[in-house]
This record gives sequence, structure tokens and C-alpha cells, in this order.
Amino acid sequence: MRLSAKYLASSFAFLFANAAWANCPLDLGRGTGWVVFSDHYMVAFRPEPMRIEVGQPFSLLFNVCTKSNRPAELVAVDALMPEHKHSMNYRPTILAGADGRYRVDGLIFHMPGRWELSIDVRAGEESERLMHDFILK
Amino acid sequence: MRGLLLLVLAAWAPPAAAQQLLDWSPDEVRAVGRHGPWPPPPVRDPSNRVSGTPAGIALGEHLFNDPRLSADGLMSCATCHQAGRDWSDGRAKGFGTVDLDRRTPSLWNVGYAHWFGWDGAGDSLWAQTIRPIVDPREMGGNAQRVAGLLRHDKDLACGYQRAFGGKAGDDDELLLVDAAKAMAAFQATLVSPRTRFDAFRDALVAGDRAAVARYPLSEQRGLKLFVGSGNCDTCHFGPRFTNGEFGDVGIAFFVRPGEVDTGRLGGLARLAGSPFNLLGRYNDDVSGANAARTRHVQRLHANFGEFRVPSLRQVGRAAAYMHDGSIATLEDVVRHYSEVNPDRLHSDGTPLVRPLGLSPQERTDLVAFLRSLDADPPPRPAPPPLCP
Repeated sequence: MRLSAKYLASSFAFLFANAAWANCPLDLGRGTGWVVFSDHYMVAFRPEPMRIEVGQPFSLLFNVCTKSNRPAELVAVDALMPEHKHSMNYRPTILAGADGRYRVDGLIFHMPGRWELSIDVRAGEESERLMHDFILK
Repeated sequence: MRGLLLLVLAAWAPPAAAQQLLDWSPDEVRAVGRHGPWPPPPVRDPSNRVSGTPAGIALGEHLFNDPRLSADGLMSCATCHQAGRDWSDGRAKGFGTVDLDRRTPSLWNVGYAHWFGWDGAGDSLWAQTIRPIVDPREMGGNAQRVAGLLRHDKDLACGYQRAFGGKAGDDDELLLVDAAKAMAAFQATLVSPRTRFDAFRDALVAGDRAAVARYPLSEQRGLKLFVGSGNCDTCHFGPRFTNGEFGDVGIAFFVRPGEVDTGRLGGLARLAGSPFNLLGRYNDDVSGANAARTRHVQRLHANFGEFRVPSLRQVGRAAAYMHDGSIATLEDVVRHYSEVNPDRLHSDGTPLVRPLGLSPQERTDLVAFLRSLDADPPPRPAPPPLCP
């Protein structure tokens, strides 16, 4: 599973056209990653190590922002294979960093195929689930 | 002139080898390529400080073959994990002081695994090695017995000192763990030989059509099924042909009337309760990084009746199949997957295991492919003396 430069470029183009997101730092240390967003939230993340391999533990580093600049929180991260309706065999844990970023450890995609990552975020009383698909070959 | 005509005809005729090659799409080549290269580089287990060390391996091989570890002095690890039987015992179900409910797993390539035992109750090879030594149903030994050997047997005491850099101390449990670590170091050296499939896989990835064509057609057709419509490589993934995780493949839960083998569900409970798991004090990796799976694994209702996905290398050399040895031949295993009852599998989504409905020719091809994962290992020399 490699990061898609084309996908990233289109994501960044959208974001830079939207001034409300301009204060949300996307660089998570390697100059690359994924971005998912809704009307209220933008979440940038990248894996560590950079290449996700079937059956190998990996982490995700997150930055969570809101359009209104309200403080946002990463509440939960999980993944499942929608075709087979099974989740990961492992429960990830979330560590909040001092810089407002998050590190999620303990993710393992134990089969090749489509994995649907769910990212639960919250700002105050408002919470939302953002999704991102991975295709592991 | 006649010679020239023959030469021209020979040039027109497709080479015999080229007729033995199926069309392989780029996706199929990629899928086949994931099953190699073989062998992978040796791995060292960071939780085991003698992993990969010659002295640790030598001590481990002697202990592995030593029946004095068992309560009655008659059974060693090698009693059930025999070199001449592909590191298993040639029986449908294992035995110890009593008959057991599960098949003795082969030790080929066990050093590359991350869960051990059919139920994954072990998270390291050394922790898994302790279990049969102290299990009263198997060797029935104990820490005192093992520690006494390492302290008082001249050769083993010398081997221990060489492997661990000091004399055996007075902590029996620690010495049991050290003995298991040495035996794990030995077991991690048991890497199965290259096979016909590996030669094919390497040639296919390299685009060497002549070498590819040496792989018989039936085996090629079986491999196409394996990575294609059979979907076998979803679980039998990677160079070892296993993703190392667990699945329910439709084998009966009951071991006898009123008693079930809960598989992974029970294994996870035993893992959590073991003083030898990687979250405990015997993990030599002070960073704790190697304990990620143990730290994050979750116990799910779906784990009931799941068992470890076995490697398929040397699979045709096994005496019986599945975790309980309930299927006698490789042909019958393929028939099982062809005809498995979907109602038994309780899947909400597209089931990972479903009846494949294979034709007799397809079953033959799949078996032919699986047998191409077998190879005769080279003769094994007797272990050298520990302290000559």
C-alpha cells in the first residue's frame, strides 16, 4: 500500500482553495500523507512505517482540525473489511501528543483486500465519523 | 537441402517448452510474486537474547532431543517433532501422557511466525516451547527438573554457560525460560527447502519464460485457482503461505460429546494469563516493541472455533490435516473446501470460506500445485557435542 501522490495533490489543491483550512498544518513529518475532510473537520494522517504491509503492525499519525478552528479531538480509530464484515484482530490505542497531534498504535491489516478505516472525531459536543479506504495488495 | 528444410521447420515449430506456459496477467504475476522469494532472510527474535547465536542454537538442539525434560524421562520434544517426519509425528492427533485432541504441528519455518500453537496461546516461540514441557498431558515436566539439568549435567551446564555467558543460577523459572529460549533458537533454524514452485515463482517474476515453462501445466492451473477464484491466498498469504492469523474453516467444534475446542478464543485467554507472554518480565526486548501484537490483540466472539492458518510449505508431506487431524489426505482437504457447508460458517458478509464447487480436474490441479510446495530436505547431521 503506497500513498497516492495524485490523490494527495488533489486533496491539497482543494484545501488550499478553502481559506478556512489554511491554519491546519498538514505536514506530519514526511511531507506526505492522506487528507480526509467533511463540512466541519479535516483530518491529515500518515502511516508509520510509510508502507503498510499485510500482517505487519503499523501506526497512524493524525492531525485533526475544524473549519471553525475549534479544538478537535480524535476519539476512535478502527478498520474493517466491508466485504467480509470483519474487523481487525487488534484494538488500536490513541496517544495524544502535546502538539495537538495523535499517534494511533496497534493497527494490523491481516488480509489483502479493501480495508475501511473509520476515524471518529469530536469538537465540543459534535462528533463525526470520517472514512478512508485502503486497498492492500 | 534436406538438412536446411528440417532446420526451417524446426525454427517454425514453437519450442516444446513454450506450449507448457499458461497466460499470466500482471495481477496474477504480482499475486504469485507475493509468495516469495524463498527462503526469507533469517530472523532474530528480539525477545530472545540467544536467538540466532550458534551457542544458543547448539544448546537448544541438545535440549530439544533430551527426554530428561519430561516427567518419566521418556519423552523429548523430538518424540513428537521428528526430523524424519517433517518435524511432526506422522499421526492424526498428538499424544503425550494421554491422547490429545489436536494434531502435532510441523516446526518447519516456525521461526517466522508470530503466533504459536493452533490457538495462538503463545506469542513467542520460547513461550510456546515451555507449554508442552510443563503440560501434564504432554511431557509433564517442570521448572525444577529443567533447571537441575542445566545446573548439574556437565555438558548442558557447559552449553548453558557458553550460550548465556554465565553459570546457571538458582532461579528455576528463569532457567526454564532460558532453556526454552535456547530450544526456540534451534527451532528457528528449521527452514524448509526451496521447491518447484519457488523456481517457477522466481522465473515468472523475472520474466524468464523458458524457466517458467518447466512448471507443469496442472500445477500452473492449480496455482491460478489458488490466487484467483479460489481466493486461497487471502489467508494463505505471503512466502510461508499463511498470514499467521486465525480462521474458522468449517471443522466441527466438538472434540467429544458435550465438549468443544474453543480454539483462538481459549488461546487468547491462556495468552493473557501466561507469565511467559511478551508483556511479562522474561521478554528480553526492553523496548517492548515486539509485544505490539500481544498488547493490542482483542478477544472477539468470532474467535470461537478459529484456529491458526497453517503454512502450506511441505503440506503434501503431512500425515493428516486441519488442527484436529480430521482429514486424512490432501485430496480430501481440497474436497472439503470445494463442498464446505456455508451454513456452518456463520458469516455476515461474503464468507472467506465458501464452497468452491471445483470440478474433478480443478481439484486435481489444486492438489498438484500444493504438492509443488514440497521438497525433500537435505540429510540432517547429528548435533555436534556441546563442549568437546
